Amino acid sequence: MSEMIALLGQPNSGKSTVFNALTGSRQHVGNWPGKTVEKIDGTYEHKGVRYTVTDLPGSYGLTGNSDEEVITADFIRSGKADLVCVLLDASQLERSMFMLAEFAALKRPAVVLLNMMDIAKAQGKEIDDRLLEEHLGVPVLPFTAAESAGYERLKDLFAKELKTPHMLASAPGTAAEPVKDADTVLRDSKAKFDWIKEMLEGVTRSASAAFTLSRRDQRLLSPRGGKLRCLGVIFAGFLVSMLICMPLMGLGSMIPGLLNVPVADFLNSLGVHPWLVSIFSVIIPNTLYFCVAMSGFVFGVNLVFGYLEETGFLARAAYQFDGVLSKLGLQGKAVCPLVMGFGCTIGGTSGSRVMDSWGQRMLTMAVVWAVPCASIWAVIPVISNFFFTPAQTLLVVLGILVYMVFMIMIVSRVFGRSLVPDSTRSGMIMELPPFHKPHWKHIIKEALFKAWGIFKRALRTVTLISLVFWAFSFSASGDVEGSLLYKIGTAIEPVTRFFGLGWRTFMGFLTAAFAKEAVLGVLNAVFVGQNSLLDATFRTSTMAVTDNLTLAKVMGEVVSKPEALAFMFACTFNVPCVMALTTTYRESHSLKWTARIAGFYVGGALVLSCIVYHLAALFA
Amino acid sequence: MKLTETTPGCSYAVRSIEGDSHLMNRITAIGITEGAALWTVKNDPKMPVLIYLRETLIALNRNDAERISVERDE
Repeated sequence: MSEMIALLGQPNSGKSTVFNALTGSRQHVGNWPGKTVEKIDGTYEHKGVRYTVTDLPGSYGLTGNSDEEVITADFIRSGKADLVCVLLDASQLERSMFMLAEFAALKRPAVVLLNMMDIAKAQGKEIDDRLLEEHLGVPVLPFTAAESAGYERLKDLFAKELKTPHMLASAPGTAAEPVKDADTVLRDSKAKFDWIKEMLEGVTRSASAAFTLSRRDQRLLSPRGGKLRCLGVIFAGFLVSMLICMPLMGLGSMIPGLLNVPVADFLNSLGVHPWLVSIFSVIIPNTLYFCVAMSGFVFGVNLVFGYLEETGFLARAAYQFDGVLSKLGLQGKAVCPLVMGFGCTIGGTSGSRVMDSWGQRMLTMAVVWAVPCASIWAVIPVISNFFFTPAQTLLVVLGILVYMVFMIMIVSRVFGRSLVPDSTRSGMIMELPPFHKPHWKHIIKEALFKAWGIFKRALRTVTLISLVFWAFSFSASGDVEGSLLYKIGTAIEPVTRFFGLGWRTFMGFLTAAFAKEAVLGVLNAVFVGQNSLLDATFRTSTMAVTDNLTLAKVMGEVVSKPEALAFMFACTFNVPCVMALTTTYRESHSLKWTARIAGFYVGGALVLSCIVYHLAALFA
Repeated sequence: MKLTETTPGCSYAVRSIEGDSHLMNRITAIGITEGAALWTVKNDPKMPVLIYLRETLIALNRNDAERISVERDE
């Protein structure tokens, strides 16, 4: 058993930065037993000794009744951690010491990390860390988490303290257990801050007391203009993240084209079974492409979000949109993932990492699925034009937007109750950290780390789902009629008809769940029969041979207008593509919840299709 | 007076906080305690109240801000 160090700190204390810098890629993410709270462990080696680090859930205190606080307090009390590293924010020392005051009552060995020293210095704050150390009775290390310079000293300190541990010299003398009575909470909090004042006696000298909003804050926080500016920044951030990931996506999209023919030729020359040829020449290269594209997105989004979060912008956006989003059962911070979702669902789900708790995060991802992504906006107008006039197409687009808001409300109502229970639900109480210069090196490192993690973990999931799809759409002759999907589709057509979809559009609906870009190609395959279903689904990047005019003509003959309308709505509000699905699973670490939400979306899309079809049929 | 009725640019001291233990925990953990000094920074209708307290800029939603009584601190 290696010795265990636990990291404890309030949100924005830089806890996860320290954790990532210490452990690098040697991390394990899971859930605390029976709780929807992420449990993150990691290891590192220092001077030949192995250490385990636990990143405790972020919360403002330890005596509250949220899952995060109960888990953290129980874990510290259990003594599983040999040493607790308490992070303080040097730029807001007094306030951030509340966590230390709560921790003091638990009487465990500790070191104090005085983080954000760079910001405190920039604000002209002086802290006598030697005197603070004397008052507290445990080592105090001034630190800037985003700079790699201090970590050797930190590891040395951990090693030393594990051998000769220190405990806090005093405690506020309040209850260490959660208190049910509001008056006691209020009285205790005063005692805790009195203790903090005592500890800080002579330690701090701050330059000025008065506070004025900076120019930038005045502009970002104004009621109307500020909202527009925030949306503008998020939109610009989205464009930048697209620009960053484009080259990677481009490289990825070349993989199938480069591998398809040579691999197929090579395997055919060996006389390998056509199934295997198909798997290795089509599925595997395509899976690689998907995974490269996904990690490209994750990299771009994390870079931009890392920047927006570190500079303090994200908190301003959350302040602006909390009112609107709380009506939908969400938190202000969800505004960024939601806007990102219009571009790409993968971006939106990956951007949900800014949410405070796992439950909020899962709920945000579930809601982002309802936001139609750029691929949908590229496909829907084309299909709509096959059947409707431009003015009617505009109405379709508006209808989709209106239903999107409705869908967001339904999803947050259905899943919000269990993901974010009422007892933990509350209005926004949030600090707005001061604007400061980003540490680029650190942001880039974290984004690369995230992207690589997704790539590694997604390979298996995407391969698996691709194989299932392949099994259903493979046809020895290359014709649609030879595929399992065709046989099932035509067999259950009486049922899908009830939902408004014929076997052809139902097939389009199913494959849209694989990749939205594939919809036109698949429609082409089932209506015109030009290319095989497999090629249409998996080789969208290399074979853009959809003849829209012919497709429009054939579709118009077979499909009625109500069916077309039902199809468009069903496709838009079905589960997002395989890549977004995989990202959600990989980011949430919960197969159960991803499957549950996916099931809800598929069911919801079919019901929607049914309603739209029968309503439209009344008017047609 | 209530925190929602305060004027931006003025300083106040917290007099009392009403609410259940859950709310009380959240509010006090962020540093809003009885007697704490604060500046009101922004107080726009329908927007969270922005206060500066213990060297921190804090956004507080209006429902919770209603439950905090303050008095003018000269």
